[in-house]
Amino acid sequence: MCCRERKLEDSYSFKVTSFQVINALNPSKPFYSGECVHYMCRCFQILGEDVHVLGFESPETQVCAGLDSSCVQKLHFHEGFPDPLGWKCTSSFTVDQFTSQHITQLIKDTQYAKASVLVVDSLSLVLRHHDPVVICQRLQELRKGGVIKTVIGLLHSDLHQQGVVGIVGHLASTVISVAPANNERHGVAKTTRRTKSGKVMQEEEYFSVSEDATLSVQAKLRQPGHVQKEQDVSEADPTSNLTFNLRLSEEERKAKEKVALPFVFSQEKKSALLRPTPGTGRIMYEPDANDDFDEEDPDDDLDV
Amino acid sequence: MFPELNSILDSTPDSYKSSDFILVSDRRADASFLIHHHLSFYLRAGCKVCFLGLVQSFSHYSAVGQRLGVSLAQAREKGQLVFLEGLKDSIGAILQEDTSQETQPLSYLRSPGPRLEGLFRFVERSVRQSGDGDANESWGPPVLLIDDLSVLLSFGVSVGAILDFTLYCQATMCSELQGNMVILVRCEEEDADDEEGLNLLQRGLVHQCNLALHVEGLPTGYCRDIHGQMEVWWRQRGETMYNQRKIFHFKVHDKGASFFARGTSSAVL
Repeated sequence: MCCRERKLEDSYSFKVTSFQVINALNPSKPFYSGECVHYMCRCFQILGEDVHVLGFESPETQVCAGLDSSCVQKLHFHEGFPDPLGWKCTSSFTVDQFTSQHITQLIKDTQYAKASVLVVDSLSLVLRHHDPVVICQRLQELRKGGVIKTVIGLLHSDLHQQGVVGIVGHLASTVISVAPANNERHGVAKTTRRTKSGKVMQEEEYFSVSEDATLSVQAKLRQPGHVQKEQDVSEADPTSNLTFNLRLSEEERKAKEKVALPFVFSQEKKSALLRPTPGTGRIMYEPDANDDFDEEDPDDDLDV
Repeated sequence: MFPELNSILDSTPDSYKSSDFILVSDRRADASFLIHHHLSFYLRAGCKVCFLGLVQSFSHYSAVGQRLGVSLAQAREKGQLVFLEGLKDSIGAILQEDTSQETQPLSYLRSPGPRLEGLFRFVERSVRQSGDGDANESWGPPVLLIDDLSVLLSFGVSVGAILDFTLYCQATMCSELQGNMVILVRCEEEDADDEEGLNLLQRGLVHQCNLALHVEGLPTGYCRDIHGQMEVWWRQRGETMYNQRKIFHFKVHDKGASFFARGTSSAVL
């Protein structure tokens, strides 16, 4: 089992005008989607990118937890969270403002115009309130707008119909689906990446995210049950600690293997049957005085 | 409250985790005993409790509360408990002449495109107001209890609207006021075309919550001594960065419930 710290350059390799979707699978065990967003933010910040987060579902404290202050400076959190629908009129960004014009303006207002990264937490909330087709159009506009280099969206795929998940995934150049693995300490991430040349690459890996947002990735192995092996208890030897001997010595083992089993139709028995053997199974008949053996009437029952 | 459940969840009325969203769900079983547990737990802890009782009357909870050692009538009089009697007030809400009721708690019964903004404002008002001018009584962090949320689907409220409501409640109760929330939803058997159903609501709430308690009957069938199994699922807490899941069996008595690890029921041992 090999374990490597994922290099930031690797995760950054799918950057140019790309749109990534992180799907959280498995309805009864929502898992690690928030941590993936957290990790992505850290990645991009360490690389010196400006990250804008549209937080509708989580507070800023949760997303920024564990990030050091130099990273936090380049992170611009647009608080939708306590009031994403505008019921209390206290939020700076509501779901209704999820249009390419609004978002572009928001980014331009924050700092000098430089292509940045946009993280949406989460797309599920946006899709609940708007038509999926309209949202896809807006995402496409954002992608082509030039102000945003990369868009990362979090989608809870068990909360939408398959068609909706499909169209958003189709729009994305990379789709990362996370689900819990058998072992609860790890998750499984299936990454589907589409390059500009049209080639599709798929990878499946085990990963876990630590408290300070470091991702450790293990390459996926052939047998699916491998990760659980570390939990197996070594089996006890049943022939030890007994008052009688259950073990075999070498000679005894050899003699045991030589024994021909009675009902097994082996090669020797087959050839023995085919070979004519003298002196076995012949009938000897000697007629005595009362026997009148008539050739024409051997059973002596004809009325002759 | 059930002492064994307290030790499983690692909480007591004197020390419990705040800013928690606890989701209680059941499938072909009745998890309302957990609501009674939490109600008595938080009243004993001295919290200000807002209870949305949408499926039973106040006297029902009061009677069960008596057996668990808390007096709901007294708590209500003191201002510690704010109780919304959904059953009793529904008739009034439907028959009302005045239609300008966006902010009334039960406005979802009347308005054409039901939003739960009115209900949310009721919750917010209840937990923010201090105890009726009585300066001596200052309660602990606020707690919201809902029994049960899935009945709103029967009234025509969409799953999206309910999830928005719980998101707002979580933002106010847990993030802002550092209080807790306990919500009961009911699930049904897995259905192939379940887009707008109980299961979708439960899945959405599991994404939002910190702790999920799921109650089901035993997979092997009916048993006299074990009433069901309860699955406890913790989102990562403390030092552990992974989610934890445990399964317990339980038996409900007249004055409480006992919980035990699988295979250790008194009927077996």
